[in-house]
Amino acid sequence: MHLIFFKIAAIFYLLASIVYVTFLLRSENSKCLYGFAFILAGLVAHTVSIVHLFVAQGFFPMATGFDALSLFAWLVVAIHTTIQFRDPNPVLGAMAAPIATVLMLIASTFSYQITQPIVPVLKSWWLPIHVSFALAGNAVFTIMAMAGAMYIFQERLIKRKKIGRFHRILPSLETLDKLNRQALPIGFFFLTLGIISGALWASSAWGSYWNWDPKETWSLITWFAYAAMVHQRLALGWRGKKAAMLALAGFALVMFTFIGVSLLFVGHHSFVSLALRVVPA
Amino acid sequence: MICLTHDFLVLGINHNTAPVLIREKVSFPGNHDGSITRFLTQTGDLLECIILSTCNRSEIIAVTKDPDSSVENLIRLISEIHGLNQDQIGPYFYIKKGQEAVRHLFRVTSSLDSMVLGEPQIVGQVKEAFRRDASANTTGPLLNRLMHRAFFTAKRVRTETGVALSAVSIAYVAVELAKKILGELEQRRTLLVGAGEMAELTARHLASLVKKPIKIINRTFENACELASQFEGTADSMEKLDDALAMADMVISSTGSCEPIIRFQQMKTVMRRRRHKPIFMIDIAMPRDIEPEVNDLDGVYLYNIDDLQSVVDENMGERRLEAEKAGRIVDQEVNKFINWTRSLEWAPTIVSLKEKFEEIRTNEMAKMNGKLGSLNEAEKDAVEILTKAIINKIAHGPIAFMKQSIKTKKINQHVDFVQRVFGLDEFVSGNEPEEAKTSEYEIDHRN
Repeated sequence: MHLIFFKIAAIFYLLASIVYVTFLLRSENSKCLYGFAFILAGLVAHTVSIVHLFVAQGFFPMATGFDALSLFAWLVVAIHTTIQFRDPNPVLGAMAAPIATVLMLIASTFSYQITQPIVPVLKSWWLPIHVSFALAGNAVFTIMAMAGAMYIFQERLIKRKKIGRFHRILPSLETLDKLNRQALPIGFFFLTLGIISGALWASSAWGSYWNWDPKETWSLITWFAYAAMVHQRLALGWRGKKAAMLALAGFALVMFTFIGVSLLFVGHHSFVSLALRVVPA
Repeated sequence: MICLTHDFLVLGINHNTAPVLIREKVSFPGNHDGSITRFLTQTGDLLECIILSTCNRSEIIAVTKDPDSSVENLIRLISEIHGLNQDQIGPYFYIKKGQEAVRHLFRVTSSLDSMVLGEPQIVGQVKEAFRRDASANTTGPLLNRLMHRAFFTAKRVRTETGVALSAVSIAYVAVELAKKILGELEQRRTLLVGAGEMAELTARHLASLVKKPIKIINRTFENACELASQFEGTADSMEKLDDALAMADMVISSTGSCEPIIRFQQMKTVMRRRRHKPIFMIDIAMPRDIEPEVNDLDGVYLYNIDDLQSVVDENMGERRLEAEKAGRIVDQEVNKFINWTRSLEWAPTIVSLKEKFEEIRTNEMAKMNGKLGSLNEAEKDAVEILTKAIINKIAHGPIAFMKQSIKTKKINQHVDFVQRVFGLDEFVSGNEPEEAKTSEYEIDHRN
């Protein structure tokens, strides 16, 4: 049942992507509200899907790759939607909608069914807390990277005096830099909580806070990178293009920690991948 | 022979056909209440009429029975109203009839015929003219429908094309750019370098946009003070330039200096002091006040007057491209509207045809009444249904034949043909839709 809603959500995200991207290629003079409407419809269906799975399983759906990617997509769309409500912008939609669609597609290649008995450590309230914080941080950094990409593009257009349609539909440099300024501490806060909650969970499960599992190591590297960014912004006053480029670099690191590490290394976080590898009978 | 005996007519002068001297004379200033429109409608023997008068055009949009004599009448009346010689203004008028009149009005309302392509005021002006003349009772069903479609077309053009999207004046381009760099401008600090005529002009333009007092720096401090007092700003001398640059968000430079007064190295230091906070610099001086290399610094966006002009030119070109797209939208809407007017032509004939068939059927049924008297109720009903079905089937052919002809130019011939074959001529006496027995499609003219 939740799968139907999941599929509906994915289709709406796909429709939104198509509407937004074709909008960029045409010369219409609007805020592309159709695209936003599709995104909203997708978000509603997606929420229903997640809530339904929660009710059906009786615990927060966080045990599989399907769950993680689905929640990640949901967070990206949710944050994007709140920004769109404040300041509608079709370019942001044209980035968020395809990313959500791709995440949904990847998620759908994983099985959502937990066919193996769940490893006892996962049956803990720490699971939803830890994963939610970590994914919320990732989602905020994703949106921040989108703002960064738009900033770099818009800045280039203004510097080179190419004042065309793209210049007009992209937000102002001030708006994008403000987004970076506001998102950075929020994302950093979530990332920090994600790591701390992970450490506390590890201590209650295995008796030690830190085990130098590859995911832990890379999370720490990511944490240091963003800590440096916060420092540059607040103490050294870095802004504008530099901040935008750092947001993109940071995002690459986040994605590697989130997806790359799970694929390349084996560690505690492979519990997730174990559940994934189960082929449905 | 039936045809729509009312035709649309547009008679007007605009910036393309008449010099400003003539345009000024042929305007309709005393027409706030539509009294002149009413006068023209009555004395000019028009069925419906709207007068549109803006700085760049004066047009009479009318529905008339005889366009040619109406044109003559109108030109005579217009010259009388304005006390001008008929031969003097006659040649400046353009005359559009029927489909061309419709197309012209749609183009005007969509701002495709404006002096500045895509300028936004014209829709409002046309709406106002329509509202005024509608309350003066000079419009009727045809113009009401026509204007409604014109506004619809204008809306489509505005939302589906970029014809009104880009800025096409230097000041407007500068403001748009400033907004794209700095966001909202209200709380931004502006610095004027130079207190000449150009600076004054710019300050006047900016004063309405920014709330913070404008700072003015000039070589001669007195001139700066004078300008500052005019705009409730503050003045400073040239030595304070670097401090002022460190504070400002927008800089407009327009001194008469032969040497650049803001140099690369200087600006580099200033940017460090600003912590690379973005700054928008406009150099409208000739020769330049700001070294062009300054644009390479992180956070500095330097535009000179030529840069701004080339943006204007590009935007104008973009508007022209979009205008082609808009032209296609106008064509679609014109076709739709013309089809509607054509439906007025065949609609009465369809009604007559059906009436004639029904008359034949009831007559024949009456004749047979004696022989059918022995039938019971159910059987009588069956005969009724049967005969009705037969006439509907027969009527379907000619009706489809006429409707099909909407797409071709042969509508009049086809309608005429159907009328002759079925002997409908006596049904559509007077050849006018409103006199045909067609309550459904009746056109009720107030005059």
